[in-house]
Amino acid sequence: MAIIEQSPGSLMPTPAVVGPKASLGAFRRPMEEHGWRSWVFTVDHKRLGLMYGVTAFIFFLVGGIEALLIRLQLATPNGKVLSADAYNQMFTMHATTMVFLFVMPMAAGFANYFVPLQIGARDVAFPRINAFGFWCFLAGGLFLNSSWLLGGAPDGGWFMYAPNSSAMFSPSHGVDFWALGLQITGIASLSGAINLIVTLLNLRAPGMSLMKMPIFSWMILVVQMLLLFAVPVITVALFLLSFQRQFGATFFDVSKGADPLLWQHLFWIFGHPEVYILILPSFGIVSEVIPVFSRKPLFGYPMVVFSGAAIGFVGWGVWAHHMFASGLGPVSVTVFSLSTMLIAIPTGVKIINWIMTMWGGKLRFTTAMLFAIGLIVEFTIGGLSGVTHSVSPSDTQQTDTYYVVAHFHYVLFGGAIFGIFSGFYYWWPKMFGRLLNEKLGKLNFWLMVIGMNLTFGPMHILGLQGQPRRMYRYAPDRIGEGFFNLKFWNQISSLGAFCLMLGILTFIVNVIRTTRGPANAPLDPWDARSLEWMTANPPVAHNFDAIPTVHALDEFFHRKYAENETTGEMEMVATAEDVMRAEAARADHDIALPAPSYWPLLLALALPITAYGVIYNHILIAVGASLVVASIFGWAIEPSYADPSDHEPPADGGTSKELSSVV
Amino acid sequence: MITSRRRHLRRWTVPVAAIATAFLAGCARNAPQDTFQPAGKDARTIDNLQRWPFYAAGGVGVIVMLLVIFTVWRYRDRGQAIPHQGHGNPAVEIGTIAFSAVLLASIAVPTVRGIWDLAETNDCKMTVNVTGQQWWWEYAYPSQTVNSADGTSTELKAPIVTSGQLVIPTGQCVLLRITSRDVIHSFWIPKLNGKKDAVPGRVHLLRMEADKPGMYEGQCTEFCGLSHANMKMDLIALSPADFAAWVGKQSAYAVAVADQTTAAGKGEAVFKAQCARCHQINGLVDTKGNPIIAAADQNLVSGAAPNLTHIMSRTTFAGATYSLLTEECRATLLATPSESFGAAYLGGVSAGCLNVVELKEWLRNAPEKKPMYPKTNAAGKGRGMPALGLSEDQIDQVVAYLKTLQ
Repeated sequence: MAIIEQSPGSLMPTPAVVGPKASLGAFRRPMEEHGWRSWVFTVDHKRLGLMYGVTAFIFFLVGGIEALLIRLQLATPNGKVLSADAYNQMFTMHATTMVFLFVMPMAAGFANYFVPLQIGARDVAFPRINAFGFWCFLAGGLFLNSSWLLGGAPDGGWFMYAPNSSAMFSPSHGVDFWALGLQITGIASLSGAINLIVTLLNLRAPGMSLMKMPIFSWMILVVQMLLLFAVPVITVALFLLSFQRQFGATFFDVSKGADPLLWQHLFWIFGHPEVYILILPSFGIVSEVIPVFSRKPLFGYPMVVFSGAAIGFVGWGVWAHHMFASGLGPVSVTVFSLSTMLIAIPTGVKIINWIMTMWGGKLRFTTAMLFAIGLIVEFTIGGLSGVTHSVSPSDTQQTDTYYVVAHFHYVLFGGAIFGIFSGFYYWWPKMFGRLLNEKLGKLNFWLMVIGMNLTFGPMHILGLQGQPRRMYRYAPDRIGEGFFNLKFWNQISSLGAFCLMLGILTFIVNVIRTTRGPANAPLDPWDARSLEWMTANPPVAHNFDAIPTVHALDEFFHRKYAENETTGEMEMVATAEDVMRAEAARADHDIALPAPSYWPLLLALALPITAYGVIYNHILIAVGASLVVASIFGWAIEPSYADPSDHEPPADGGTSKELSSVV
Repeated sequence: MITSRRRHLRRWTVPVAAIATAFLAGCARNAPQDTFQPAGKDARTIDNLQRWPFYAAGGVGVIVMLLVIFTVWRYRDRGQAIPHQGHGNPAVEIGTIAFSAVLLASIAVPTVRGIWDLAETNDCKMTVNVTGQQWWWEYAYPSQTVNSADGTSTELKAPIVTSGQLVIPTGQCVLLRITSRDVIHSFWIPKLNGKKDAVPGRVHLLRMEADKPGMYEGQCTEFCGLSHANMKMDLIALSPADFAAWVGKQSAYAVAVADQTTAAGKGEAVFKAQCARCHQINGLVDTKGNPIIAAADQNLVSGAAPNLTHIMSRTTFAGATYSLLTEECRATLLATPSESFGAAYLGGVSAGCLNVVELKEWLRNAPEKKPMYPKTNAAGKGRGMPALGLSEDQIDQVVAYLKTLQ
């Protein structure tokens, strides 16, 4: 059993001697605690969370550069920055990257890091599957982007409508890379979903009933449920597409009697829940941040939980509102118009709940709080333009114009991304023991708010005045007259994109400065409310010395504050340090943590090999498949906890250091 | 204290007001594809429908913003005590739900009525088959008798096939039967109606009705591959009498150039050798006097290329991407008042008005003017017009020939 060191001692691990008992010879478990091997083979949810976050952020920058190129091209009519072909690849990859390689994995990163901490667990339920999920995401993302160097990226739009996606109309390998790459990242999402659902349902600390679970964890639970049912749909659709392109299947071949609308239904049955998959984690984050900086519990917690779940259910019944112009017929259009209006109600409830949380509070405008308030404002704008889409006859005017682009960027940038940045500023001290600079943070916030409104605000006008989306150029004779013509608004929008870029650069500067600075974060910098703050910054490997027993929602707050019975006011009865000391006094001995493993990485690496094989040479499929089988067997016979022979024999009893083999 | 706060407010009022004014008054004037300038019954139905949701959404937006601003200002940390840890207020929550439900119901009822109004087709007494393909639109008028409300009756004895510009009579519903020959496209004339996708293997119906004669611009709005941005269409509305005249002109066959030694005559020969493979000209005959039937289905993935019999009766080419008229002539046509628009349009492209420069560029190297995939696939078929490798003389001759196709 792996023993986590409790007493201070030498920080350097002593090289271990590989004894004859070491499991699996050369595949002795990589037990290092430091160095690159400790990251690459880790199964620690916190390390994986950080790896998710860093990787997703890099993809965010890639998607951002693609967006800047798009805005450069559209800054003037008949732009010459990109060719038609390059532009089509650019907007396809911008959307694919932002959705599948940034927002989803960034949410997965936050979920990985904070769900176990928030529910008082030492790790997720299946740590190796967790590692496997991360490597699948990275492998899928790199595989997808390798298409840029191998004959061209996908060019059919992120919605990849059939039959434009078939080999006849998109002869480069781009769409193959897209279908197979998303298949691989889909495995990451699906395995992550199962893992987090089991974790959330089974590993909550004693006393934490579902209705005492922090709201972020709740929203993650809803999201994983959505993923669990949505990802299989896109998996099926992607298989149909791959089989059509690789093996001559005819699922979308009209000349063989297929109906291309099949793809649209499959895509949007996945794609609409996907929208909520993107936004609900950020709803969860701001539902944590707003109470902390208002010093009040979340207003109507049960209502926020139920409205989140309601969004999760109704989200399945609105997919065809993406298809109001596709010729569904008036009965379907009526049904989907009405269900789309219905989903505005739980969303509106959330907005009011956040405002009412602040109402009567004691508000501190930290950067995290500013981003949360920014989300309320910008998401409301996006939500209201969404209501105008639900009026399907007017949607037939707005769909596929920049009005829709404006709508979903208000929802996704003003919603999902503002939530993510709020999470960065709020949880940075927890993850790194350092507070991000608040001055730079505020500059970052205002640049992003101004930038996003300049970029996406004018798109409302562009769309309502008739500029369709996905056009590599627009003609000067359709921009209208006057100073405020569509060219003017396109220029403002492009200007705004560079303002956004400055905002994000400010964030990067802030991160670099903070990382170089001292570990300045106090134990409880925000006077927070939930369990993840009831441990060190950053948390120790085993998260909690003692698994806390939960008595209330906002457990940490209620351990620090109590109502004065005479005055009726909340008074501090214990500091964070006091609470921590009390917990340390009842620390568990012999904490068992799951051990690192090679197998998740090997299994994930086998998938892009197989995928390259599907595109280029079927022999590679056999190579990849062999590696898959070998990894699965290796994984299956490997115990989830390290064998004692993987460590140097403990010198005295059970309190020895965990040791590593450096061979 | 109060004065400084006022000054603080005033400092913000000016830029905020400026931005708000810019957005409200900041729309382009006379944008050709403006969705708020209906010019026909169906677009008006949509416009009437969309006003209330926009006002309601705007109103709710303003209320939420004011609420956020007030809350943020009123409850900022001024050293007050830690507030009571209340968990909610059912009245507020039920109130929010009830309020949004009532507001949504006020939107829902007219929406449902609008959906069914726009799906009505019984009052459409004329039909046009609209077919999209990469990257242009074909309009085929089946044989039919069009009885207009003003008593004019126009008989289409034989089908008419044209492209780029869809011509309809004013004052009556025309039913478009929309489909596609390759990928999905979407037909959209914003001033007359919303969009309808052109899906291969399916026929979708769309109403079109214009109040007044004129040119209504639109473009394909479903991403359809490389030159999606260059797939446009104009709808030309003519008075019923002018429409009858247009039908008469379109029904005629092209007349062979009498003198084969003129530029136009040589151009006809080049056309037969190079262009007639794909482009149909009704009335064109080979040396034996047999009609030349274009074999677009042998050469193109979509199996169709624009019929050029009356190309000079239209004012655009290359999927309505480029104007056949010079800039001045086009501006003049667009500025023509609706009473005389029909006569101006029926005049066609006069010799002095032809946009020779761009037409020649097109003939020289079409894929450079408009990105296409002319390279043939395994089945020997391309997507779009290739560079034909014509000499400058041949290009001049073809232009001279095309001018005869009035």
